[in-house]
Amino acid sequence: MTPMAMTFWDVADSSLLYILVIIGLLYVAFLAGVFLRKAWGHCLELGIPNTTVKKVIASSCTFSIVPSLSIVIGLFSLAAVIGTPWAWFRLSVVGAVSYELMAADMVGQAMGYSALTQLRGEPAQVMGAVMIVMSIGIIGGIVTNALFCKKIQTSMASFNEKQGGWGALFSGCFMMAMMSVMMPLQVYNPTADYGRYGHFNLVGTLTLITSAVISLLVTMIAKKTGAKWLNNFVLAIALILGMVAAVMWSAVFPA
Amino acid sequence: MKNEKYINSIHRWGRWGSFGAIAFMVGIPIVACLIFDCFPSMKLVLQSGSGLLAMFIPIAISEVISYAPVLGSSAYITFITGNVMNLKLPVAINAIELAEVEQSTDAGDAITTVAISASSILTMAIIALGVILLVPLQPVLTLPAVKTATTYMLPALFGGLILGIFSGAAGKYVIKGKLLAVIPAVVIVAIMLALGVPLSTYQGFAIVGMIPVTILAAWIMYKKGIIKVEERAIKKS
Repeated sequence: MTPMAMTFWDVADSSLLYILVIIGLLYVAFLAGVFLRKAWGHCLELGIPNTTVKKVIASSCTFSIVPSLSIVIGLFSLAAVIGTPWAWFRLSVVGAVSYELMAADMVGQAMGYSALTQLRGEPAQVMGAVMIVMSIGIIGGIVTNALFCKKIQTSMASFNEKQGGWGALFSGCFMMAMMSVMMPLQVYNPTADYGRYGHFNLVGTLTLITSAVISLLVTMIAKKTGAKWLNNFVLAIALILGMVAAVMWSAVFPA
Repeated sequence: MKNEKYINSIHRWGRWGSFGAIAFMVGIPIVACLIFDCFPSMKLVLQSGSGLLAMFIPIAISEVISYAPVLGSSAYITFITGNVMNLKLPVAINAIELAEVEQSTDAGDAITTVAISASSILTMAIIALGVILLVPLQPVLTLPAVKTATTYMLPALFGGLILGIFSGAAGKYVIKGKLLAVIPAVVIVAIMLALGVPLSTYQGFAIVGMIPVTILAAWIMYKKGIIKVEERAIKKS
């Protein structure tokens, strides 16, 4: 096949792209491994017991399974548009399905296509544009963080240390501010349509409450029975049972 | 001194590691375009890329301002691997609570980095498995019930996090009445949503706006004795 005859899909599904993507992902996994090793060592230096560190790792990994599976679901839809290797890379590194589809759509629209599925048979240059645009559009967060993270972290730590009790409360304000926006959005979203409930996310609200009650119950059971190990899985249990509850609430209150 | 050495080292790795990740993100398309001889026209890249950049650069900056104070040095891996709200932040909150350490301290930073790095490696492994098992997995993971369940993943997640975020435990301190500090911000957000402001599109900006509101409310309530911060004995578990 000559390069001139190559299509969008020839590039999107090529072995070469798989190889490049695997090299890139191995690099990111290596970097995460370095961070894990360094931070683990530092935890021990600071006097945090090894059992606590292992408990945190076990809990983090258990919890991460379900959200990771939801990323795999996104992979199916994205792979159908831009091929498996690039979808794999994008969803493992920074990306989210909504952003990637938006980027692919912007390239498609700039070229005059109305549907993303039309891109498959187009010239290979379109796939080149999709990959470059997706990458350039999303690197702002990594660059900004690389430039300012140290300053932010050390300033926060020194402020916290100097201020004592107020410092602890101040640090918690960032998380609370985040939740002040995210929690109400799970209940009411003027840009979403929940059928006969309008913008009110009834099923989402019931799911949120169910999940909170489940986490409270599991914490209480762990305390009453002395099963401390259960505390490691509170979030994972609340997430899975909350999602199961969402399916049931959807059946009881269809949109 | 040991701590300073660690901080310098982790940030050096983070900074250079981030630029390395960018090199791969941009390098893979460039190498593929060179080999397949499929470089797009600059006009096409600029035409579609400028809109994305205009939209995402302010969002990226606001996200760094909002998340980096919470994530500390784990922000490097977080921003490289993504999925902040649905994966990395919950992992961080959970880790801080489990290890009974305080956020924005050396111990809090190290334990968060352990948790987020482990979670990132696992997520990458699961996505890789998903690619290998793409064909057999697809019918199961695209079942209507699974689709419904994943649609409501965020509410299920935030419900499970409520206790941890507002529990008042903060390492060696206990914060009594912490929840009160968030009320003014929630009222503002609720009013904006009721007025139809599309906050879901501009979450990053909304969070940046609510940070000073929450800090101010917390400061006033702390000074007036409505929110109390007391020392507690740390359990070594």
